[in-house]
Amino acid sequence: MFSKVLIANRGEIALRVARACRELGIQVVAVYSTEDRDSAVVSYADQAIQIGPAPAKRSYLNIPAIVEAALHTGAEAIHPGYGFLSEDPDFAEVCRDHGIAFVGPPPEVIAQLGDKSAARRLMTEAGLPIIPGSLTPTRSVEEARQIAEDIGYPVVIKANAGGGGRGMRMAHEATAFLRAYQQTKTDAQALFGDSLVYVERYLTSARHIEIQVLADDFGTTIHLGERDCSVQRRHQKLVEESPAPRMPPGLAARMGQAAVRGAQAAGYLGAGTFEFLLSSTGEFFFLEANCRIQVEHPVTEMVTGVDLVQEQFRIAAGEPITLCQDDIGLRGSAIECRINAENPDRDFVPTPGTLAEFTAPGGPFVRVDTHGFPGYRIPASYDSLLAKLIVWAPTREQALNRMDRALAEFRVRGPGVHSTHSFLREVIRNPVFRSGDHNTTIVEQLLRLDNVPGAA
Amino acid sequence: MTQRSLNYLGRRNDGQTPSELPATIPVVCAEELDKLLGRVRHHAAGFVTDLAHPPRALRVRAGEVSLEVEWAPEQGSASVSAEPAVLPVAGEDPDLHYLTSPAVGVFYRLPEPGAAPFISEGDPVVAGQQVGIIEAMKLMIPIEADQAGRILQVLKNDGEPVEYGERLFALAVLSAAGRAQPCSAKC
Repeated sequence: MFSKVLIANRGEIALRVARACRELGIQVVAVYSTEDRDSAVVSYADQAIQIGPAPAKRSYLNIPAIVEAALHTGAEAIHPGYGFLSEDPDFAEVCRDHGIAFVGPPPEVIAQLGDKSAARRLMTEAGLPIIPGSLTPTRSVEEARQIAEDIGYPVVIKANAGGGGRGMRMAHEATAFLRAYQQTKTDAQALFGDSLVYVERYLTSARHIEIQVLADDFGTTIHLGERDCSVQRRHQKLVEESPAPRMPPGLAARMGQAAVRGAQAAGYLGAGTFEFLLSSTGEFFFLEANCRIQVEHPVTEMVTGVDLVQEQFRIAAGEPITLCQDDIGLRGSAIECRINAENPDRDFVPTPGTLAEFTAPGGPFVRVDTHGFPGYRIPASYDSLLAKLIVWAPTREQALNRMDRALAEFRVRGPGVHSTHSFLREVIRNPVFRSGDHNTTIVEQLLRLDNVPGAA
Repeated sequence: MTQRSLNYLGRRNDGQTPSELPATIPVVCAEELDKLLGRVRHHAAGFVTDLAHPPRALRVRAGEVSLEVEWAPEQGSASVSAEPAVLPVAGEDPDLHYLTSPAVGVFYRLPEPGAAPFISEGDPVVAGQQVGIIEAMKLMIPIEADQAGRILQVLKNDGEPVEYGERLFALAVLSAAGRAQPCSAKC
């Protein structure tokens, strides 16, 4: 096992990873921008290196600065967290070239799975069902329109280098196609520096189900069950749970096996996620594979009892996975809510500012992963995730009641600061969500209800 | 002198002695310029010998000619300035300025092993002058003074690893209110 690790991230995930290090007896090196000088992970870490100014491009995305920091501190491995450099094949390669272990898959695997149409081709070959659409980036708007006609509307146009719900637009009919296509190309260029796009059918009333996998260097690949992440707003997840409610018998296991096949075909190493769309008729389709630890990984940890970040470290250190597939069973029900510093009444606009009050809930079976504390100044430079509230209970209904109770205990207050926790309570109490009969449109439906004059 | 530092000094002096600064650098032929510089040198040498104490630095600038005299701190009271000069104390003097590291890397004071350092304590610097190097991922990033002044302290050793924003040099900023009163002379 490593004796010293550098965490190339910030916020709650940096602290989460640092805690895993502490439990494994690994020394922690934090890196931070000038904006995060007083952050929780900086005071938690054994060593902290200031790597750049506030803009992520010059700090958390600054490969030379991070690698220099690792070399100077003698860190043997870099954990990239999620976002930032976590799925950057160049970063993984630079780490390898400098003899630093990158906690994640090899650069070639990241590159292949990051190219979304290449990933679709690979998964088709591995026998995974994919959503009807193009298998290569479209070369012209005419070709793209023809594909849309062939597969039928509505369609979704996606950035080839995209992922995480960014860089995609819907076209519900032929007349809207051109505009959506061109906007997606523009967005893709701006977001990912690559204007290639592809087209696939848009499944209405689908659910977002993903499978957690672990793969080591000894040929072992296992899955750790599913997560339902259907509660989304503008393709950003708000609530995640495991197991997924109302799954037909055997379906989750079949999806798990498909994910393992996909991971093996890709030569996957480490912790990864295979995302699927599940249609209302019970068909599932491969969506994308994520080469990182995900924000919502705690729900899997709560139902499996496996510390995924510690497993990541073991695999990166060249040790075998300590589990086999038969060891994995999902016990009870876990739910996660993302508490963002955003104002739900103003279209979820981010609300940076200083926390005058910050009291996280507690009590039985409640876990809070957060970097927040009273007096913490939420910077405007980064994303608005402030805390992840995770609860566990023997049944989904009990877990929902527990989440409702825990959300009610959350106190987040500060000048100009808003939080999504009260909105999340509405979601948790919503009868459709409670029944488990919801799909990815539930938040839009809820918000539409809210906007009806006179509605409660 | 670089155009950049010229511009810089022009800006700094602007608020203080606007009437003495040229709007543009006058166009002169080479012969005229030589004559002009000769006169300035002569004048400057005479100026120095007339002084009670030798200055730490004397700079003569081209363009509309200006003459800058910088005094050693202990001789500040002999300055032509009416105000006595005081050695700046770290953290107190408003004219104290730090040159910080532009990147995580290794700090070098020397242009190459065995060479003389770019700059030493007490040396004057002009804006844009290179004072060190940060090596980051085999890339040599020059560290330049962002304003004119005098190096009071070198805060890092040659070859020492540094973080982004770490202080490398303490600089006494060149200003009218103290040690380094610029004098201007028109021909």
